[in-house]
Amino acid sequence: MGEAAASLPVPYTSVFGPVPTVVSGFAGPFGVRSLELILQTFANAAYAASYLALVAVGLVLIFGVMGIVNFAHGELYMLGAYATFYFYSEQQMSFLVAVALGLVLVGAFGLLIERGLFRPLRDNPLGGLIASIGLLLCLQAAAALEFGTKKKPVVAPTQEILTLLPGVTLPWTRVYVILVAVGLLTALWIFLKRSKFGWALRACAQDPEAAALQGISMNQTARLAMFIGAGMAGVAGALTAPLVEPEPHMGHGIIVAAFIVIIVGGIGSLGGAVIAAVLYALVQTFVTTYWNGVMADIVGLLLMLIVLVVKPAGLFGVKDRA
Amino acid sequence: MLFALAVAAVLLALPHLAASAEQRELAVFLLINALLVCSYRLMTLTGEWSLAHVVMMGVGAYASALIAKRLGLPVPVALPLGAAVAGLVAYILSFPLLRMQGFYFLIGSFAAGEVIRLAWRLSELRPIFGGPKGIRSIPGWEDWQLFGYKIAWWSAANYYYLALGIVAASLFVLWRIERSRHGLVFHALHWQDKLAESVAVDARGYRTTALVAASAFAGLAGGLLAHYLGTISPNAFEVSRMVDVLVWVIVGGTATFYGPILGLVVLTLVNELVLRSLGVDQARPLFLGGILILAILFLPQGLESLVEKARARIWG
Amino acid sequence: MSIELIKRRLSRRRFIQSTATGAALAGAGIGLAGPVRAEGEAIKIGFLAPLTGDVAAWGAPGLYGCQIWAERVNANGGVIIDGRRHPVEFVAFDNEYSAAKARTGAQKLIEDDGVKFIMMLGGDTMPPVVDISNRTGMLVSTLLPSDLTPETPLLIAPAEVHPIYNVTGVAWLGENKPDLKTAMICAQDDALGRPSVATYLAAFEAAGIDVIEEPLFFDISTTDFAPIMTRMMASDPDIICLDTAYTDYVHPLCEQAFLQGYKGQILSCTMDFYDQVVAKTSKEFMEGVIFQFPDFDDPKMNNPQINFQDPGGFYNEYNRRFPGEWGAVSWEYASIMDLWKAAAESANSAEPEAVLAAMKGTGTGAQCFGEARWWGKELFGIDNALVGNWPVVAIDDGVARIQEFRSIPAWWDRHKDLLIKHMEAMGEMYYQRI
Repeated sequence: MGEAAASLPVPYTSVFGPVPTVVSGFAGPFGVRSLELILQTFANAAYAASYLALVAVGLVLIFGVMGIVNFAHGELYMLGAYATFYFYSEQQMSFLVAVALGLVLVGAFGLLIERGLFRPLRDNPLGGLIASIGLLLCLQAAAALEFGTKKKPVVAPTQEILTLLPGVTLPWTRVYVILVAVGLLTALWIFLKRSKFGWALRACAQDPEAAALQGISMNQTARLAMFIGAGMAGVAGALTAPLVEPEPHMGHGIIVAAFIVIIVGGIGSLGGAVIAAVLYALVQTFVTTYWNGVMADIVGLLLMLIVLVVKPAGLFGVKDRA
Repeated sequence: MLFALAVAAVLLALPHLAASAEQRELAVFLLINALLVCSYRLMTLTGEWSLAHVVMMGVGAYASALIAKRLGLPVPVALPLGAAVAGLVAYILSFPLLRMQGFYFLIGSFAAGEVIRLAWRLSELRPIFGGPKGIRSIPGWEDWQLFGYKIAWWSAANYYYLALGIVAASLFVLWRIERSRHGLVFHALHWQDKLAESVAVDARGYRTTALVAASAFAGLAGGLLAHYLGTISPNAFEVSRMVDVLVWVIVGGTATFYGPILGLVVLTLVNELVLRSLGVDQARPLFLGGILILAILFLPQGLESLVEKARARIWG
Repeated sequence: MSIELIKRRLSRRRFIQSTATGAALAGAGIGLAGPVRAEGEAIKIGFLAPLTGDVAAWGAPGLYGCQIWAERVNANGGVIIDGRRHPVEFVAFDNEYSAAKARTGAQKLIEDDGVKFIMMLGGDTMPPVVDISNRTGMLVSTLLPSDLTPETPLLIAPAEVHPIYNVTGVAWLGENKPDLKTAMICAQDDALGRPSVATYLAAFEAAGIDVIEEPLFFDISTTDFAPIMTRMMASDPDIICLDTAYTDYVHPLCEQAFLQGYKGQILSCTMDFYDQVVAKTSKEFMEGVIFQFPDFDDPKMNNPQINFQDPGGFYNEYNRRFPGEWGAVSWEYASIMDLWKAAAESANSAEPEAVLAAMKGTGTGAQCFGEARWWGKELFGIDNALVGNWPVVAIDDGVARIQEFRSIPAWWDRHKDLLIKHMEAMGEMYYQRI
C-alpha cells in the first residue's frame, strides 16, 4: 500500500486554494484509493449512522408531540453512557442488563422531565428550550461532581471482530450498536403504524386541540413520547459507552449532529431523521477519512444550510408545527 | 427622571465604588456584554431567535483587530469598521437565513455561525485568522494626554469610562430604533406576522434590518472586547457563550429595554461574585442551570416583570 | 509600553529591593547565621488555570498536586527568607480557559490577593496575562512554551518544554529499533497538536524514518476514531505516532488500532491512565508502546540527578488522595514550585524580579529530571524555557518504565535546522504568529 500511495501523487488542494505545503513528498489525502478502504469506511459509517439515528429519532418524537426542542437530549445520551459505566464496570452486572437499565432508567428520567419541566411549559416553545438548556447545565455539572471531569473507562464486553470481507472488519461492539438500532427503530416504526399511540401521536403533532377534542389524552401521549425518546437516547449512550467512554460534556457533539440530522430530515419526520442520519454519517466518515475532521464538520454544517435554503422545511419536511 | 439620574450617577462612580480589582474588571465586561444582550434583544423583537449572535460579535472582533493590526488604522477607526463588517456579514447571511423561521432559523443561524467559527480555526486560513490560537498583540486604544495627565486605557478603571461612553451611545441608538416606525413594525412582525404582511409590510426587509443592526452592534461589542484584551480566539465565541447570552436575556426578560441588562447583571454577579466566593467551582453550572429552570418555571416573564409589578404598585 | 522600559523599571526596582534587603540584613545583625526564627507571613502563590469546563483536566489535577506540595513544604518549615519561615498558600482562580476571565483573575490575584508568582496552563488565556505581567512585573509560568515570545520577559516555561522533548522518544526508537522505517502521524488540529507534529516530523527525519503521508489532522470534537485509524493503517506504517493527542483521543485511538489488527509500534507524547488502555486492549498489544511521561514511583525516579522532592512519596500520596487522577500535569505545577522555592530562598526574597533573577542567574536550573539550561532563543525568541534531559518511557509487561533520560540539548545542537524548518512549514515559529 505504501507504493500504491506513492504512485498516485494527487496534489493536495482545498476549497480555499493550494494548501501551504507542509513537507513535499507526501501523497495527498486522496492518494490512498483502494476498494478496501472505501468499504471499510462504509462499515464505519454504518455504526455512526446507527447511534445518531437513535438519538435523532427521540428528539423528533419529543418535538413532534410537545413542540419542545430538547437541548438536553445529548445529556440523556450521556446519562445512558454513565449507566453502563456504573452498572457494568462498577457493579459488575452483565453488559446486556446494564444497557437495558440504561434504556429504562433514562426513559424514566424522561418521564420526570416531562412532568416537572415540559408539561408546565407546553404552550411556551421558547420556555421549553430554555428549561432544557438549564437542565443540560445541571446534568453536566452533576455528572462532573459525581464521576469527575475525566473520561471513565468502560472495557468492551467483547474484543471479537466480525470480518465482513477480507480487509473489511467491524468490531462486534459496533455491530451490537447497529443491530440494536435497527431492531429498536423497526419496532418503533411498527408500533407507530399499528398502535393507537401512533395515531394519537400524529394527531397531537398535527393539532393538539383537535386531538384533545377527539378524546386523546395529551398528557398520556406526551409521557409515552418522552419515555421512548429519552430511552432511545439512553440506550444509544449505554451501547456506545465502551467505544466513546462517558464524560460530562459528551452530549455536546452528538446534539449538534442530531440537530443537523433532524433539520435535514425535516423536523416532524421520523423516517426523514433516519435517512438523514445515514446521509450525515456517510458524509462525515468519508470526509474525515479522505480529507480531515475539521473539514468534515464544516461540510456537514454547509450541507444542512444548503438543504435549508433549498427546502426550508427539510428534505422530508412536513408542515412546521412551531 | 430622578431614577435615571441616580442610575447615571452610579454608573459614573462605579469604578470608584468597586471594592477590588476583580470588580473593576467585571464592570468592564458587564458593559461590553450589556451591548451584546441589548443588540440581541433588537433581533428577538421580530420574533426570531438567532444562535449566531456571539459569532457576529466575533466577526466584529476579528475584523476590528485585523484592521487595526494589519492595516495599522487607529482603534477608533477600526472599531466602527469592524462593526460594519459584522453588519455586512449579517446582511449576506440574511439571504439564506431569513428564508427560515422559528426553530429552522434558530438552527440555521447556529450552523452559519459555526461555519464562520470553524473557518477561523481552519489551518488553511491561519495566515489570515491565526488558526485555533487566534490573534494576539491586538493594538489597544492609544493613551491620551489630557492637561498633562496620561490616561492609559489599558487599566480597567479608565477603559470602563471609554466603554461606558460607547455603550451608552449605542444603547441610545438601539432605543431610538425601537421607538421609530421600524421598531413598531418589529413588534408587529413578532405578534402578527401574516397580518403585517397583508397590509403590505415587507416582513423580510424589516427582519433583515433587525438582523443587520443587531449584528453590527454585537460586532462593536466584539471590537471593544478585542482591543481591551489584546487577544481573541475562536474558543471565545463558542456556542456555550451564546447559551450564556440566551440565559441572561431570558432570565431578564425581553419585553422591556432594560430586561436583558437586568438579567445580565444579576446572573453575572451571582455567578462571578457569590458562587466564586462560596468556593463551589465545580458546582457553579449546577446553580446556574437551577436558577434558569426556576426562572422559566416561576418567573416566565423574566426579572423585569418583578420590576414592572413593583413599579405599578408604587405609582399605581 | 516597550520592553526596554520594563527592563529599566525592573532593574531600578531590583536595585531598591537589594538595598532594602541589605539594610534589613545589616539591621538584623546575626540574623543571617543564626537559626531559623519565628514564622513569617504566608507567601501567596496564584494558580490561574481552568478548573471547570472541558479543559479542566489540564488545571484541576495540577492544583491537587500543589495542595500536596504546600502541605509537605509547610510541614518542613515553609520557604525560608530572611531567616524566617514563610508558609506557602495557593490562591486558585478558575479562568474557565477564557481570556477575559484570565485577565480578571490575574488582576484579582495581583492587586487583591498580593500573590508573588502566578502559575498558569497558558494557551488562549495567556496573552492578556502577559500584558499584565509586563506592566506589573509579575512572574508567570506556563506549561505551554509556545506562549513564549521576545515580548514575554517575565514568562517562564520551567516544567515541560512541549513539544521539543518528543524528539527523545523518536531518537530512542531510531537507536533501539532500527528496523522501523516508516511512520504515520495523526493529531488534533489545535495549538498543542500542530507544533508537536512539526517536532515529530523533524525527529523522524533526523532518525532516518520516512513519514509516508501528510499528517492526518482531526477536529477536537471528534469522538469516533475508527475512520482515522483505518486511514492511518491503510498506508501500512511501521510506527503509528499519536502526536500530543489528549487522553480522550489516545485511548480510543489505541483501542481502534488494536481492534483493526495493528501490529506495529505505537508512539505517543502522553499515555495517561495507560492501565485503562491495557485493560481495553491487551498487555501484549501495549507492550513496548513509547511515550514521555513516567509514573513517579518508577525506580529510575530515585536517580541522584532527579530534582523532584521524594517523587515516590508524592506519587503515592497523590494516588491515595485523588485515586485515578494521576496524569501528566499532576506533578508539573508542583515541580515548578520546587524551582521557585529554591530560587526564592537563594534570592532571599519572594519578590518576582528577585526570584526570576535567581532562577536564571547562572543560565542553568534544577529542572525536574535533572540539571537543565535556560534556552529557547532560536525557537521562541527568548531563553525562558528550561530544557535538559527528558525520560523516554515504554510499557513493559503492563507497567510504564523509564528506559532512559535523554538529552534534549544534545539533539537540538545536531538537528536544530530540521526542527526550525518543520516549525516554519507548519507556521508555528514565534515570528509567524499573528
